[in-house]
Amino acid sequence: MKKTIIVLKNELITTIKRKSFILTLLLLPLIGLIITLVIGNRDQSSGITSIISKLTASEEENLSIGLMDETKTITEIPDELKDRIKFYSNQEAANLELDSGVIKAFYFIPGDYVQKGEIVVYRPDFNPLSAGDDNYVIERLINSALLSENPEIMNLVNTFPKFKTELLTPEPQRDPEHQLTFFLPYIVTLLFYIVILGSSSMMLNSITNEKSNRVIEILLTSITPMQLLSGKIVALGLVGLLQTIVWSGTGLFILRLSGRSFALPQEFQLPASILVWGIIFFILGFILYASLMAGVGALVSNIKEASQATTILVIPMVIPLVLLAPVIENPNGVLAVILSLFPFTSPVSMMTRLSAGNVPFWQLLLAILLLLFSAYWIVRSVSSFFRAQYLLFGKEFKIKYFINAMSGKL
Amino acid sequence: MNTIEVNNISKTFGSQKALDEVSFEVKPGEIFGLLGPNGAGKTTCIRIVLDIFKPDSGSVKLFGNGMSEGKKDQIGYLPEERGLYQDINLEECLNYLASLKGLSSSESHRRIKEYLIRFNLDEHKKKKVKELSKGMQQKAQLITTLVHDPKLVIIDEPFSALDPVNTQMVKDILREQRDLGKTIVMCTHQMHQVEELCDRLVLINQGKSVLYGALSEVQKAYAGHAIHMRTEDQFPASLPGMKEFRRLENHSHYQVDLDLEISPQDFLKTLVAANININQFEIATPTLDEIFIQVVTESGMKYE
Repeated sequence: MKKTIIVLKNELITTIKRKSFILTLLLLPLIGLIITLVIGNRDQSSGITSIISKLTASEEENLSIGLMDETKTITEIPDELKDRIKFYSNQEAANLELDSGVIKAFYFIPGDYVQKGEIVVYRPDFNPLSAGDDNYVIERLINSALLSENPEIMNLVNTFPKFKTELLTPEPQRDPEHQLTFFLPYIVTLLFYIVILGSSSMMLNSITNEKSNRVIEILLTSITPMQLLSGKIVALGLVGLLQTIVWSGTGLFILRLSGRSFALPQEFQLPASILVWGIIFFILGFILYASLMAGVGALVSNIKEASQATTILVIPMVIPLVLLAPVIENPNGVLAVILSLFPFTSPVSMMTRLSAGNVPFWQLLLAILLLLFSAYWIVRSVSSFFRAQYLLFGKEFKIKYFINAMSGKL
Repeated sequence: MNTIEVNNISKTFGSQKALDEVSFEVKPGEIFGLLGPNGAGKTTCIRIVLDIFKPDSGSVKLFGNGMSEGKKDQIGYLPEERGLYQDINLEECLNYLASLKGLSSSESHRRIKEYLIRFNLDEHKKKKVKELSKGMQQKAQLITTLVHDPKLVIIDEPFSALDPVNTQMVKDILREQRDLGKTIVMCTHQMHQVEELCDRLVLINQGKSVLYGALSEVQKAYAGHAIHMRTEDQFPASLPGMKEFRRLENHSHYQVDLDLEISPQDFLKTLVAANININQFEIATPTLDEIFIQVVTESGMKYE
């Protein structure tokens, strides 16, 4: 036990002291900070963000759009739109100016608009995204003109309804309409993916490193393979937890700092339980993947072989990322339930679900049980071949060989 | 109580039999040679003794019984394939490996400092291991082997990749360790080194033990009926009891093969009677190299 702790301490210290580790630990929050600043302050025309928005703005945006209204309902253009809309009374003049580039689009409202609801748009080229913006302006313009005698209704039509959600669940919830509610599942999923994959890859690196520089033989005369394995698993697990804490901690901090458009923090409260679940799923997911990586590390002969092997092992981790959108959209759908129960995808997918909505308690328990059993099975099989014979020699990695090893047929 | 007792161990890897019923004992306080050509099974044998591998059959006793956690701390091992962490600094690397041998942090720092100074590595202790020369890494490896003051030192190919100065240093250290009462197992194919240092030896070839015993007895057993002598005088073409003679490396050094009936003692009398001035007279003992080649070729096995 004492030696396991020595291994643990050493692994922990050397990993944390590594430059690349410190760099990732700090760099990721930094990137987060920049992104938040850009998104958070997009509307404010100051500093970095205004430069960025100037860079992304195209010339075309300065041009106005042409409008001809046969229904004669639009009698005047509001002051704030005067720069953007140019009124025409005949189609030929408008078409000419469209051709010569004076206006970027020409909207023609036919006389039978009230009956048919059709507006014809003339554009020099196809640009669906910016077109949406212009369409919206025209839509508002015609609506307010049609409803000018009914300003109350017009106001209602022109503003989004305010949804006030009353939740029946007992836990304190974050504001369901808040912008962050949309981002949160993505952030949590990515965080879990990176942390579990990152810390279990450190396992693989650590073992192949000891193999390739031949320290392993010295180690094996001092400690048993099991002491080595368990010391490393606990140490790298702690490293992963540290990453999670630093990243989510600084994440929250950044949000607080940048929060002009995100009014924080009161509205943004994760239910406390998600943290507990997060820790449980991280630990189990980490044990599962780290021992798999350790198994690969025990069998392969060098880092190159190891990285090929990792590519295969990572596939089940990537699936929850690929299917992220449907899971978030429907966190209690069949796909989401399957992914969050299957042990190889559940650590990531369950966190996606938990951050996107509420998960029935029995599913959480079932996922944990399944994960617990598979982690136990994997640790047991890996420890059966995490032995000197393989640690000292190493072979070319073949998936069949690995499966044989895992099922004890080596 | 013997330090090591190896009883009939066998080990097979795949279809290859690495060790076949090998037995030997290592006595406390001796330098024991575990010899054999490359690929003979020496390293496998050592790894079984160290409990890194389990034998397919047979047993190993260390200090009287099986391997235990505590005993690992009593053993210093220098593997043939030297290994140190390359990406951390020398001092950290040595301290970690020493702590795994049961030394407390303060104790390992103190001893490592002493060794670093003694091996002229003190100024390099903050360098990464991979920045050190091969010779320095060898010395660092030796520190790892000895720092926890083990009762049993097992060294695999101690002199490989060492220059003459460092070879001498390692020899001195081995003798010093023996004088401190340590038991040393030296695993090598460099026979002349063994002759200089070992008390007893076992010779393994193709997984089998082919020769075992005290160095002097082994040499006696393989000694022909011959003497070595030096004289400045003209050597007579024939003498009673002399089968034949030949010059060795210089003109005054001869090897004389004797008839079976005559003892070296009587031949010396004959030489004196013949009025030959003798500078040196000794019974010819074959070198281990010669014995080694003889044994290996006699047993019909190839010497790689």
